[in-house]
Amino acid sequence: MRVILLYIIAIGLIWVGVLESAFSSAHSLDDHSNAESIESQLSIRRILAVGFVGGGVVLKMISNDSHRVISKGNEKP
Amino acid sequence: MLSIKSWVQSRGNHFITQFESTSQKLILMFLLAGISYGATGLGAMLLMTLLANSQLGKDASSKHGISALESSRLGGLAVVIVILVYTLGFSLISPYTPGPVRDEAFLYLWCAIFFCCALGFAEDVKPDFLTPTLRLAAKFLVMAALFWLSPKFIPSSVGVSVIDALITLPVLGWVLVTIFAVGFINALNMADGANGLVPGIAVASFGVFFMEYGRPMDGALLFAFTIFFIFNVISGWYFLGDAGSYGLGAILLGYGLLGVAEGTFSAGFMAAMYCYPCVDFLVSVIRRWRAGRSPFSADNGHLHNRLHQFIRCRVSSPVIANSLTGLVISVLTAGFVLMMYLLDALPPDSNLWSLVFAVEVALYFATLAYLTSIQPKTQYTDPL
Repeated sequence: MRVILLYIIAIGLIWVGVLESAFSSAHSLDDHSNAESIESQLSIRRILAVGFVGGGVVLKMISNDSHRVISKGNEKP
Repeated sequence: MLSIKSWVQSRGNHFITQFESTSQKLILMFLLAGISYGATGLGAMLLMTLLANSQLGKDASSKHGISALESSRLGGLAVVIVILVYTLGFSLISPYTPGPVRDEAFLYLWCAIFFCCALGFAEDVKPDFLTPTLRLAAKFLVMAALFWLSPKFIPSSVGVSVIDALITLPVLGWVLVTIFAVGFINALNMADGANGLVPGIAVASFGVFFMEYGRPMDGALLFAFTIFFIFNVISGWYFLGDAGSYGLGAILLGYGLLGVAEGTFSAGFMAAMYCYPCVDFLVSVIRRWRAGRSPFSADNGHLHNRLHQFIRCRVSSPVIANSLTGLVISVLTAGFVLMMYLLDALPPDSNLWSLVFAVEVALYFATLAYLTSIQPKTQYTDPL
């Protein structure tokens, strides 16, 4: 029983990163953010949710034109 | 002078004793996962720890040339779960649509990856469930179907005129790329022998793919393999297993071929990135063939086996010796390519990467020759 609870906690913690990535993408689309506003999103909340490397990964996903591509529902070709 | 030496030795032994303790390993693994990927990294690390401690897929240490621990072969399954949770969740709550849903070529590629994973998973759960010939035939069939349905994976030029002339011929090109693909997947499986070797190559590769394309799927792959890399190097409790190495082989192959076919990367870049598994596979096949054995029979003659023996004589901890072996090889090959890419020393589509590949091959043979000259012969060439 305790093992099942631990599995649920593990999946839940991974979902924290999912929510942070999705929130950052949506926020970026709403704001039509430039590089400066993207930089400011690197907050303590993001560091806690996805860490230093993960923060860079999320930034890369929402910058470099991929936010525009994500808005169309596509990956960058 | 003697007292300083003995002090260094005693501190070294103290460090190794500390490092060998399970709780110390767990603290270090979770710390690194937390720093690099925050709460998400902790979740993935917890998932991998739980799976590593399950009884399913346990492997005795005697089945491996290097590992001295009872390890789990379910590393591939752990990576798949992490990627699935992240990608499915991200697709559900954001406008992002994964490549397989949008692009037919990616759909076929991921079907092939899934099939390779399933083929390996059957072997991980029940060893010798399928005969080696049947597995090889299945891989040929899947790869042949992939390249038949999606010819865009077949590069039109790799920078070598003879090969270019052959792969541009419709049917011959398809046959050659299929043979190469199956060989590559087997090569990666064969190289999965030291902690951090194959995961290190995977982290460097997905790092490059993610920085080049910025695709969320590449980000998920980079995340999952970075956590696995940390887990594998520190604890040594996991192997990718056949599911992981077949699946990873198919992903790296598909992304690499597509990158070369689209002109994003040169063939030399990919050769330098995947140098160790490819060269070691070819050398191993030739060695076994010359000894009159099956090219796919297992032995301890790989460079990583010999390098491990060399390090093991100098480092008392079996886990540190194992991890150092994998790290030295992955850092000097794929890690070096990643560093050159990050420093922008050469554009990824430059043919000069072939020179980097040539240097890596020369280093491989020089190291192998040196280690062969100082180590007994039969211990490494006898079948397991």
